[in-house]
Amino acid sequence: MKSVMACQGISKSYGAGDILERVLKRVDLELFEGQASVLVGPSGSGKTTLLSILGCLLAPSEGQLLIADQTVNFSDKSSLTEVRRKKLGFIFQHAQLLPFLTIEENLAIVGRNAGMEDMDIKQRLDGLLQRLELKVMRYKYPAQLSGGQRQRVAIARALLHRPSIVLADEPTAALDWNTGKTVVELLLEQARLEKAVLVVVTHDTRMLPLFDRILTIADGLLSEQRQTAAVENTFYTQP
Amino acid sequence: MNSVAIPVATQMLFHNRPRFIMTVVGIAIAFFLAAAQIGLLVGWINTNSAIIKHAGVDIWVMAQETRTLDYGTAIPRHRIQQVSSVQGVAWAEGMLVGWVNWQHPEGKHITVEVIGLDKANAGGPWLMPEGNISSIHLPQTVVVDELSKQTLGVRQIGDEAEMEGRRVIIGGFSRGVRTFTASPFVFTSIDNALDYVAYYQDDEISYVLVRIDPGADVMQVRDRIAREVSHVEVLTTAEFAERSVKYWMLETGVGITVIITAALGLLVGAVIMSQTLFAITQDHIANYATLLALGFHQKTLRQIVLTQSLSLGGLGIVVGSVLFFIACNASATTPIPLETTPMVSTSLILFSLLCCIASSWFSIRAIFKLDPVMVFHG
Repeated sequence: MKSVMACQGISKSYGAGDILERVLKRVDLELFEGQASVLVGPSGSGKTTLLSILGCLLAPSEGQLLIADQTVNFSDKSSLTEVRRKKLGFIFQHAQLLPFLTIEENLAIVGRNAGMEDMDIKQRLDGLLQRLELKVMRYKYPAQLSGGQRQRVAIARALLHRPSIVLADEPTAALDWNTGKTVVELLLEQARLEKAVLVVVTHDTRMLPLFDRILTIADGLLSEQRQTAAVENTFYTQP
Repeated sequence: MNSVAIPVATQMLFHNRPRFIMTVVGIAIAFFLAAAQIGLLVGWINTNSAIIKHAGVDIWVMAQETRTLDYGTAIPRHRIQQVSSVQGVAWAEGMLVGWVNWQHPEGKHITVEVIGLDKANAGGPWLMPEGNISSIHLPQTVVVDELSKQTLGVRQIGDEAEMEGRRVIIGGFSRGVRTFTASPFVFTSIDNALDYVAYYQDDEISYVLVRIDPGADVMQVRDRIAREVSHVEVLTTAEFAERSVKYWMLETGVGITVIITAALGLLVGAVIMSQTLFAITQDHIANYATLLALGFHQKTLRQIVLTQSLSLGGLGIVVGSVLFFIACNASATTPIPLETTPMVSTSLILFSLLCCIASSWFSIRAIFKLDPVMVFHG
């Protein structure tokens, strides 16, 4: 399988001297095309920090991040923005759609920002709205949608510009179990269809069997578990 | 300009319509306030220099250190002949300016500014809706402006009043000869004026008005008159108009007050704009963080804020300009009308837009400090 993203000895510390806090400790990780990984761990274990580094939003204190075999230059904000613009898709806990734009506009601006042609955006938008059963919501505003529908729009937004990596931060936290499961299943289905790397942070252990890889983080140390071992583990916060 | 900036900026503004409308109204009122103050200033300047500019002459000859048209002092009448003999002068005639007491038919007293005109009536009214300006050459006959009818206690041609205890007859009414002082202009002939203005001798006038030969250089003729005619000051029409305006604006302090008020109007507008833009930016700070996280450049976000700033400012200026236009029309027949010129209007609009851009500085600073990682913390 083709390697899309790799962490090499990534550490992250906050503070200095006596109050130095090491949130991530030498994380090594390789993520492959079309592979869906779930990142689990107790609160404060470093999940969001790792996701922020993978999303080129936070610079590591040590180590390096490679995307498509290119080392990410965290000191150049403009190049970080370019990586996010072209190669990354994000899904946030509360969808974070722009409330003053319709669903169509929320999606279209991402395509335009990524430099897609208008015709390409339209075709892509039509396809995603169809696949995610959002066609009738096209001209509605986020406030007119349910939480599940908003997360489906967020999935469409994350995939619209064909990113090679999709990162999701607790996309089901604000949803009930059935809606959350549907959203994750849709996300997995679409990411696989697009052959994108998918990394999802979640607290909900019931979601784990849906993913290809289960990554566990505790006290800043990353490890990988087999499906059965992960499901039986008890330190996760139950939803 | 990123193609996303304009739709995002405008929809963000229109999303909260009551606030959008209130902001535009606030900016419009602030712009109107500034425009009205500057319009007052322009109207005032035009009023100050109207007689000089409408006289249709090229050069004014006057006593040395004359500060303004209204305070002309005596020079010998034969200066007219002396000036006429200077090379490049096509024509010259006199004008007399003095201050006298006017008594209403009902007995009320006020001070008026008498303008005594020579044969060609240069420096006289330029519009005469009632009567004829040549009537001033009849004995005791004067022309006043229709705006001064009530102040002078006259209603129609033939009405009588008194100046310095002597009878005057209204021979006509002019239009547009305003004064910002409480003393209206009263036009008559130099000979009539000498009867009323006691501090002038019979062989004295205040000004010599000069037209130059076609093709002659006004500056050269001005300098030649200054060299050949003694004990006088010689100014072109533009120079004299500017001196009169400067006197009333700067030496009396009134103009400075108007300028300060205009500047305050613009400042208030800029503050309203700045506060509103900052509030809008703060309300949408999470949205901006989301856009940053999604790969929008800081430059695009700055364009969004600037687009909002210019949209609010532009609309405020349009609405404010409409209000100003209405006010200009309404004040057209008052002693001090609101007026403007294309250059003043353009400068005011550009300066206001500059204020709008400057007012977005706080918002741009807030965005510049934004950390997109905050999207992961709700």
